[in-house]
Amino acid sequence: MRPFVPLVAVLVFGCVLNANGAFFEWQTHRAVLREISVGGILASGMTVVIVSGGIDLAVGSVLALSAVSFAWLTLLHGLPGFFALPLVLLVGAAAGALSGVLVAWPRMQPFIVTLAMMVFARGLAKELSGGQKISTYVQDPSGAFRSVPLPAVFEALDGRVLGGNVSVVTLVFLGSAFVTWVILERLRVGRYLFAVGGNFEAARLSGVPVHFTLIFAYVLSGICAALAGICQAAQETHGDPETGLGYELDAIAMVVLGGTSLMGGRGGVALTVIGALTLGYLEKVLSLNAYSSELRLMLTGVILVLAVLFQRRFGRESA
Amino acid sequence: MGERLPHGEPRLELVELSKTFAETRALDRVSFDVRPGEVHVVAGENGAGKSTLIRVIAGAVTDYTGELRLDGRAVRFANPAAASAHGVATIHQELSLVPALSIADNFELTRAASPFAPRDRRRASAAAAAALARLELALEPAVLVETLSVAERQLVEIARALAGNVRVLVMDEPTSALFERDVDRLLSLVERLARDGIGVVYVSHRLEEIFRVATRISVLRDGRRVFTRPAGEVTRDELVSGLVGKAASSPPVPRVRAPRAVRLRVRGFGCDTPSRVPFDGLEFELGVGELVGVAGVDGSGASTLLHVLFGAARHTHGEVTLDGEPYSASGPRAAFARGVALLASDRHESVLGELSVLANATLSSLGAFSRAGVVDRAAERAAVAPASSRMRVKAPSLDAAAFALSGGNQQKVALLRCLLSKPRLLVLDDPTRGIDVAARADVHELLREVAASGTTILFRSTDLAELAALSDRVLVLARGRHTATLARGELDDARLLSAMMGGAA
Repeated sequence: MRPFVPLVAVLVFGCVLNANGAFFEWQTHRAVLREISVGGILASGMTVVIVSGGIDLAVGSVLALSAVSFAWLTLLHGLPGFFALPLVLLVGAAAGALSGVLVAWPRMQPFIVTLAMMVFARGLAKELSGGQKISTYVQDPSGAFRSVPLPAVFEALDGRVLGGNVSVVTLVFLGSAFVTWVILERLRVGRYLFAVGGNFEAARLSGVPVHFTLIFAYVLSGICAALAGICQAAQETHGDPETGLGYELDAIAMVVLGGTSLMGGRGGVALTVIGALTLGYLEKVLSLNAYSSELRLMLTGVILVLAVLFQRRFGRESA
Repeated sequence: MGERLPHGEPRLELVELSKTFAETRALDRVSFDVRPGEVHVVAGENGAGKSTLIRVIAGAVTDYTGELRLDGRAVRFANPAAASAHGVATIHQELSLVPALSIADNFELTRAASPFAPRDRRRASAAAAAALARLELALEPAVLVETLSVAERQLVEIARALAGNVRVLVMDEPTSALFERDVDRLLSLVERLARDGIGVVYVSHRLEEIFRVATRISVLRDGRRVFTRPAGEVTRDELVSGLVGKAASSPPVPRVRAPRAVRLRVRGFGCDTPSRVPFDGLEFELGVGELVGVAGVDGSGASTLLHVLFGAARHTHGEVTLDGEPYSASGPRAAFARGVALLASDRHESVLGELSVLANATLSSLGAFSRAGVVDRAAERAAVAPASSRMRVKAPSLDAAAFALSGGNQQKVALLRCLLSKPRLLVLDDPTRGIDVAARADVHELLREVAASGTTILFRSTDLAELAALSDRVLVLARGRHTATLARGELDDARLLSAMMGGAA
């Protein structure tokens, strides 16, 4: 029950202030759900990495690289969406695999490996896009500019379903959270992830495929980052090499706020969804009630600390 | 043995101490006193409340009810530092030295001084040297702790605890990682400290040890004090039945076995890994269903042998066959694939504290409990529940995190994990280190059953009584060489010890 307490507190706060009733309208909630979706997709992958005892600082940059790649393939080269989508996911998986291999075999610290990947992927995104946003207004090899129509996949991902009540990106977020949940809670590799994060040496001596498990975690996080990047590109209708700056920290905040331990081996993606909702609603309640953005940042920092302090588990002693 | 009960005012008094954790009552109105010059042994099974008691005295548990009195004055330690400032020194089972620092630096860590006080390396080094000399330890203060053996670290830890002005010394199974000669040295030291007027609280499982050092014995069971009596008035059977709560069981029946097929054959086997104690020229065979002990002091290569068999096969030479096929495991996974399982001696390497009992138990055999990568949780539960109750694992539930269990029960869970992988060869590194009499008896019984069902067991032990009680044969290693093999009939302490020290059997 404890992970719910900060969320309920924020919701009660929202109901009390309620911004002249705006808090009670569905579109407010729809907006919150849409706003947390890209971060939530990143946080789903991040949860897996953190459970494995690591951290993935590269997700914001991989998101940008993926957004740029997606725009580059579809807008600049006119590739159909169903073809571009798996290719971009592959880009994310490759970035994750590279981080994972470095963490698994030379046993480099995840913080350093993914810090390097964060810088590298950002550079690659800028290289690929020539430092410019890749939009529907594209330049031909001949130098002439022309406008291309926005592909259907962009509109589909930025749209709404269920009578306009739910954004598509929200479904993508919930879908990735569900897939991650299945992996962590139902699959063998999920058990291995908890084991490796909880006690690497004991896991290794128990015959757990520790290297595969570590690489798997970063590949999954890379794929989630690519998916988030595609959604980001669809929402912005272009591929921006500067997008996603600092998103890795938001994702980590969502994971931690849920109660997943940064030490590894304990937590879950359901907690992360709660963490994402808490952060999203906090931001929305404060902005609805006209708190300045400066104050919002400061309050978010304070509340993050309070929530994690509150959740810390006691009673690890045994008789 | 303490023949006279020291008189005088108690050094330390425990009055009606109680402590309840979330679900369990760890201590229930426990009272006794410790007088200067006394070695007060506290005995109890795992889960009896000994660890909690120690943590209360050491200032690590503060939300208890009841009272602690030190030299007649009520005290309540806010934290461990407050306890040591009052002259209450505690030596925990888990070593608290920082491996990357030198011995002298570790000594300095516990000195109460301002964090900004200038460091006097020469004085620190001299102080450490003096404390080491007091225990007759031939170690340089400048040596890094990570280069020391477990036994040496334990002794350094004790030396450090004694460096201050100590009135009460609490020791939690200080000999669990030590070999006989170090045990003897330690026990003499404990007796000497008591004579100097320190009140010693000594927690132990080992009966010989208890009767050797105890002035008085307090037995705890299920958080309650069963009795406190002068050691001279307690018989062995009384102590054991006090611990277990029932009459002591009879010793095991010797096993007689027909000759059996060879499971593991080792020829000219050697290892010279830079990071481990080397061994060479090993020749032996293990039969199907045989229970074989490996004896050897620190530095004999016995521990290396177990690890090499399990899957650190680099830097080895010679010939090893398992059931007639060449065997060389490049890692734990490869070893498991060939039906070889290892239980590590260090519980931090064998138990995953954050994971549930269930997840711990099935971790090595998860493939058998899953289809297409999906874990069949019902099948897991169906396999683990009866096995864990047969092994008498005491756990709140199978879903409880392993760290909530007592040490002996954690060890049983780790052993269960090995067994569920259905090993042909089970390698155990000191399987009952630091677990109590009852749990040890359970583990022994279980290992005999496992061997009887056809699994070959090779185990190392630091406990001579265990080697004698459990083994069909004992291989003795000394300085990396196989110096003797003792059969079941010839296993006695004297023979074992002389072989381990490198003499003839």
